[in-house]
Amino acid sequence: MEKVRRIQISLLILFTASLFVISISIPALAHKVTIFAWVEGDTIFTESKFSGGKRAINAQILVFDRQGKQLLEGKTNDKGEFSFKIPKVADLRIVLNAGMGHRAEWTIPESEIREASGLLGNKRAGESSQPLAVGLSREEIGDLIEESLEKKLGPIVRMLAESQSKGPSVTEIVGGIGYIFGLMGVALYFKNRGKQRHREDRDD
Amino acid sequence: MHISEGILSAPVLITGAALAAAGISVGLKKMDSDKIPEVAVLSSVFFVASLIHVPIGPSSVHLIINGINGLLLGWLCFPSILVALTLQAILFQFGGITVLGVNTLNMALPGVICYYLFGRLVNRETRLVSLAAAFSCGFFAVLFSGILVALSLLFTEESFISAVTLILLAHLPVMIIEGVITLFCVAFLKRVKPEVFGGIYGKGS
Repeated sequence: MEKVRRIQISLLILFTASLFVISISIPALAHKVTIFAWVEGDTIFTESKFSGGKRAINAQILVFDRQGKQLLEGKTNDKGEFSFKIPKVADLRIVLNAGMGHRAEWTIPESEIREASGLLGNKRAGESSQPLAVGLSREEIGDLIEESLEKKLGPIVRMLAESQSKGPSVTEIVGGIGYIFGLMGVALYFKNRGKQRHREDRDD
Repeated sequence: MHISEGILSAPVLITGAALAAAGISVGLKKMDSDKIPEVAVLSSVFFVASLIHVPIGPSSVHLIINGINGLLLGWLCFPSILVALTLQAILFQFGGITVLGVNTLNMALPGVICYYLFGRLVNRETRLVSLAAAFSCGFFAVLFSGILVALSLLFTEESFISAVTLILLAHLPVMIIEGVITLFCVAFLKRVKPEVFGGIYGKGS
């Protein structure tokens, strides 16, 4: 009986182990969506993905301000992207609703929007544009810097977006299984202690 | 099929948590110390299964393995699935802590239902009946889960019918795959250890 039980348990462990190996070898994709949003100029770009990298296509996007007023609504395209002009200079809460109970949020603080678009505009309005020695006006230089910065920072922003939607790592998977077996140990310990106490009571 | 945080309203969350707590207490009461290792192993199977993505269909779906959990554990699949879902919520951010009750109920209850529906049939001597029951167990556990998820979303989505068809259509490949997995597991376990299907709850109860 004891032997049979041991065989049974080792078979189940084998089954788990094989599932585990499969789950690591296939890029892990599962039930979690993430949305990542950033500001470029006067436009806000968003990228929505399921955990592991599958894009959330045709998912609903809602934009709220801090008071919870809905500013606009849209749907992601077939790359999981959705972009819109800044509707209001305020803290924006962007909610992704990918259906079947999948939801994610991203907040863009007011300062970020101001930095990306507002500040530049303020300066332009405030200072008279003195032509510089090179023959370029202040705002032209500003635009050039802005443009090249966006070009240079683009890949970094995209990389950040990628890292937002990484699936679970091997450490987390192994850690989780470890937790389960640790819990098993704790449960067995308490069950057996109860039994032992019961036995001692009977012996007394 | 994990429902994310911030979707469900408080009454739904509380009802789900209360029902899940009831199921878990039944499961814990019926748990024998002999059964604990098996519960742990099936819990880790469930924990890992969610990482296996089924790349068919428009949405992101994954294996659930609640049919085998229910078939082999009966009511014990409530604690088993609770542990796995808690760890998924903490480590993978699937679902979430506040929706834990609803998610546990949605996954574990179909397991228990399938145990009562198909458990006896799986035990039958006739090979065909037994295997057909095993397939149905895996298949219907996912189907019932889909219906429960749609029911939980009843107060958030506009229409129940559209939610249910969307979820069930997306999970059709998963249902079939899980049916086949359950079938192979049962065929295998019947050959090497037929006793596993009888007397789940130990001698006491």
